[in-house]
Amino acid sequence: MRYVVVGLHAAGRRACAFLRRADPAAEIVGVDPAPLPVYSRPLISYALAGEMPPEAMTVADDAFFQSLGVTLARERAVALDVGRGRVGLASGREIAFDRLLLACGAGPRPAGVEGPLCHEVCFFRGRTDLARIMDRVQPGGVAAVLGGGLVGFKLTMGLLARGMSVHLIVASPRPLALNVDEYVGDWVGRRLAEAPGVTLHTSTSVHEVEAGVARPLGLLLNTGERLEVDLAAAGKGVVPRIQWLADSGLDLDQGVLADGYLRTADERIYAAGDVAQVPDMVHGDARINAVWPVAVEQGRVAALNMAGVRAAYPGTLAQNAIPVFGSRLISVGAVNPAFTAGAESVEADGPRGSYLKLVFRDHRLIGAVGLDAPPRLGELAFAIRRGLVRRDIPDWWLHNPKNAAPLAAPGGALTGNARLG
Amino acid sequence: MLKKTVIVRPELCVGCMQCMIRCAEAHSHTKALASAIREDILAKPRIHIGVGPQNKPFPNKCRHCEPAPCQEACMPAAIRSDIAEGLKIVDPARCIGCGMCAMACPYYVIRFYRDKNAPERPGVAVKCDGCHDRVAAGDVPACVEACKTGALTFEDVNLYLKEGTNRLAHAAYGVRS
Repeated sequence: MRYVVVGLHAAGRRACAFLRRADPAAEIVGVDPAPLPVYSRPLISYALAGEMPPEAMTVADDAFFQSLGVTLARERAVALDVGRGRVGLASGREIAFDRLLLACGAGPRPAGVEGPLCHEVCFFRGRTDLARIMDRVQPGGVAAVLGGGLVGFKLTMGLLARGMSVHLIVASPRPLALNVDEYVGDWVGRRLAEAPGVTLHTSTSVHEVEAGVARPLGLLLNTGERLEVDLAAAGKGVVPRIQWLADSGLDLDQGVLADGYLRTADERIYAAGDVAQVPDMVHGDARINAVWPVAVEQGRVAALNMAGVRAAYPGTLAQNAIPVFGSRLISVGAVNPAFTAGAESVEADGPRGSYLKLVFRDHRLIGAVGLDAPPRLGELAFAIRRGLVRRDIPDWWLHNPKNAAPLAAPGGALTGNARLG
Repeated sequence: MLKKTVIVRPELCVGCMQCMIRCAEAHSHTKALASAIREDILAKPRIHIGVGPQNKPFPNKCRHCEPAPCQEACMPAAIRSDIAEGLKIVDPARCIGCGMCAMACPYYVIRFYRDKNAPERPGVAVKCDGCHDRVAAGDVPACVEACKTGALTFEDVNLYLKEGTNRLAHAAYGVRS
């Protein structure tokens, strides 16, 4: 049996480990043009902020793949011939597969700006982007960050830490609009407005990038304003790398569509990570949640299914945890006001200064957000997976989230294996 | 695969919190209570007595899952399984305190505190390490040593499972173990 894994980052790396565990005798071929070692992409924001050296981002080196007996093909996959069961590489070489995992990830979404210097807008997706931004960082300089999502926010924090003043340009009325509820979004907006060095532009977008007078770049905003900056960087989301699969015959939408076993339209081919569009646990439709834990979990589940160990994937779930101005912000599921209009929400009584909100739709738990709350969002994510409803979250839990026993304790709603007395 | 682990029998717990104190002591720099409470960075317990239904105490600690959701969520690969067999242990030197593991753990056993092994960080993930150094030296985990009611015991996993099988057989068929 020959397994071919295209893409060796979060999902592909995990898949290699579990393919080897499930099938010790199999031949595993990893295809990825990026040089080793494999690093953790989300950590580039911590490296930008100077909180860790770039080399500490490494999560798997050559020895890791050698120990698993993975043969590496350090090339880009450019074609997929489903009928013949072959992956075409950039050099013209072909690799035959019995089972294939598509874990080729996603690239940055274009910033949507025009103008003669629009190519000067940096992205923030990998270590090459990090290097490009670091080249342009000037302590005391001015930067513009396009996009008020998590990436834009981390970029802002990183550039501030590097001594730049930052214009954060957000198309929506508040930053983190897609990731958190109104309360946390407003709190973040206030903290940003108070933070020295940050100018927050909400409901604003950049139209054109042209040469500046006093600084290298001039940004024309839709408000008519013009900003002069040393560096412009965009975090506008991701676009799955599916162009090379256009003629493959697989079902494609935003990404590669896969079912509850992460299998694509062809039963030999699986998808995992940022390229996989799979049913969402809360929304029901097929979505891409391009975050590290989702990709790693999908890599494991896809590998088990490829090796014939039937493993159901319960569905993807939006989840994120970031430090915000020294506070810990965690959200899981749907908490965005646009998705949760009309839903019931319950606030837990946490310690003073903390915020923990649970969102229910039709009595079912669909999301939770915590700001400096007791770190029990994982428990609530698990509760979403198990389909817990409002009455399953007892008052003793909601009144004392700091010290309440977990819902998985005996008598709790998540008790899966109740002990026999 | 874990051979021996801490088995929790919550019905025997009286909520005295001795396990928490001894856990923190065992993870302090000086490993003695009198001096541990004077350390610059206070050691924190990795086991907690939660308040359960009907206000009953529930000793709550890491289950060292396999595969572990916290380990899958950890971006800098700071939760390691290569330090001691069968245990998932946080490497404070690699932890960035992002909170991803807490977002993934279904049991609320990961907390964030300053740690003596990463003093420069405002908070890193702190959770049970199975007292792997004590166990390697032939001792039992600190929480087990502290527990006087038998709610926490250090047992062979297979024997514990056999005990469960016997209980099931007894409940279903009236067979005495």
